[in-house]
Amino acid sequence: MGHFHQGMSTPHTSDVDLFADDVVLDPHPVHAELRDLGPVVHLPKNDVYALTRYDVIRDALADWESFSSTSIAFNPAANQALTGTSLASDPPVHTQLRAALTENLSPRALRGLKGRIEAKADTLVAELVERGSFEAVDALARAFPLEVVADLIGFTGHARDNMLRWGQAAMQVLGPMNQRTAENFPVAGELYAWCSEVTADDLAEGSVGRGIFDAETRGAIPAGTAGHIIHQYLGAGVDTTVAAIGNVVALFAAHPDQLDKVRAEPSLTPGAFNEVLRYWPPVNVWGRTTTRDVAIEGTVVPAGAQIAVLLGAGNRDPRHYENPDSFLVERNPADHLSFGYGPHGCAGQGLARLEAHAVIEALSRRVKRLVVGPEVRVPGNITRSIEELPVLEVIPA
Amino acid sequence: MKIVLDRPRCEGHGLCEEAAPQLMHLDDDGELVLDLEEIDGGDVALAKAAARVCPVAALRVQ
Repeated sequence: MGHFHQGMSTPHTSDVDLFADDVVLDPHPVHAELRDLGPVVHLPKNDVYALTRYDVIRDALADWESFSSTSIAFNPAANQALTGTSLASDPPVHTQLRAALTENLSPRALRGLKGRIEAKADTLVAELVERGSFEAVDALARAFPLEVVADLIGFTGHARDNMLRWGQAAMQVLGPMNQRTAENFPVAGELYAWCSEVTADDLAEGSVGRGIFDAETRGAIPAGTAGHIIHQYLGAGVDTTVAAIGNVVALFAAHPDQLDKVRAEPSLTPGAFNEVLRYWPPVNVWGRTTTRDVAIEGTVVPAGAQIAVLLGAGNRDPRHYENPDSFLVERNPADHLSFGYGPHGCAGQGLARLEAHAVIEALSRRVKRLVVGPEVRVPGNITRSIEELPVLEVIPA
Repeated sequence: MKIVLDRPRCEGHGLCEEAAPQLMHLDDDGELVLDLEEIDGGDVALAKAAARVCPVAALRVQ
């Protein structure tokens, strides 16, 4: 990144614990504190160097040569388990793995699904509006992505019944070796085992999941990788999308003036989703490791350091976004950091957009106002999501 | 100046087209087409905005 010169110093230090319950529940005050200390802050409690400001984060995500993805998780066992996946590898190996992963997941591959996803969202939202009161996380934020991903991969039965648990666990185990991580390893193992054993015949004909096995049979992707690809779809794509859709509902309920803007101008939908992701990222922290001594604005981060990329802190950096603590759907922060950026930018972001846009469109078409009770949150290592959100009353459009 | 596309890296997310529809579009197969590669004047700022929002860093202006 920067150039080395005389007078380089060590980064500031803070005694913050990024994975403490109160911090994962509400990371924004701690993010602001760390961002004020400097673009990179050493956190001895977590044994990491945290990147806190927008420009530094974006540059690091683009610079895979200095910031390797071989340590995206905050414990060695999870990093070990991810070895050989596109998520945890660097170019040139990464380039091929990524191509195999995105073959069926890129926007161009998903275009045929758009109509079906929109119809599903509209049907579900119409039912909920009719019902008038419901628990939004179970009834919408979980139900919808689960139905979409089950349809996409083509699974039913046992896998479908366990997918939410498995998806949550797959993210939890990326944290440091705390109690949450330890408790979730066996559950994440169930997902891994299912993906290792699943065969083409287990998946519905015509599904993307079946297509991945067909690609393996054709030799378009290396032998034995179909299960890994499905594992990444499910491990990375369920919990995060659930969080994002729950956040859409909560933020529209809390900001009826912003919902009004989207109702009046449906073309604000993509920008509104960008703002939801910027304001409350499903993932606030992600790992990297330095391959060499890296200079960041006059300080040096040593080679081999564990990096904590604070995506949520970058999203609220006042150096980049004016009035960053306000939720404004007209802002359209298309360059937010919540999907990461660069070669490892979220491979499923096209699908996430299809799903979230469909939900936002259906809500803004059918709902004038949502009256909600208090949201319930439980601490999580990596994903920050709402556990329960009672919708007490729907005022229909 | 020139818009440079790293074609293998492009996944067709289409955010660049939203930022600069005068300069580029996704074709019927979802592949990005640069309608104008050599740019000057006001197009430079548009091209830079398009490169900025590419989520996989497949575009640059040089």
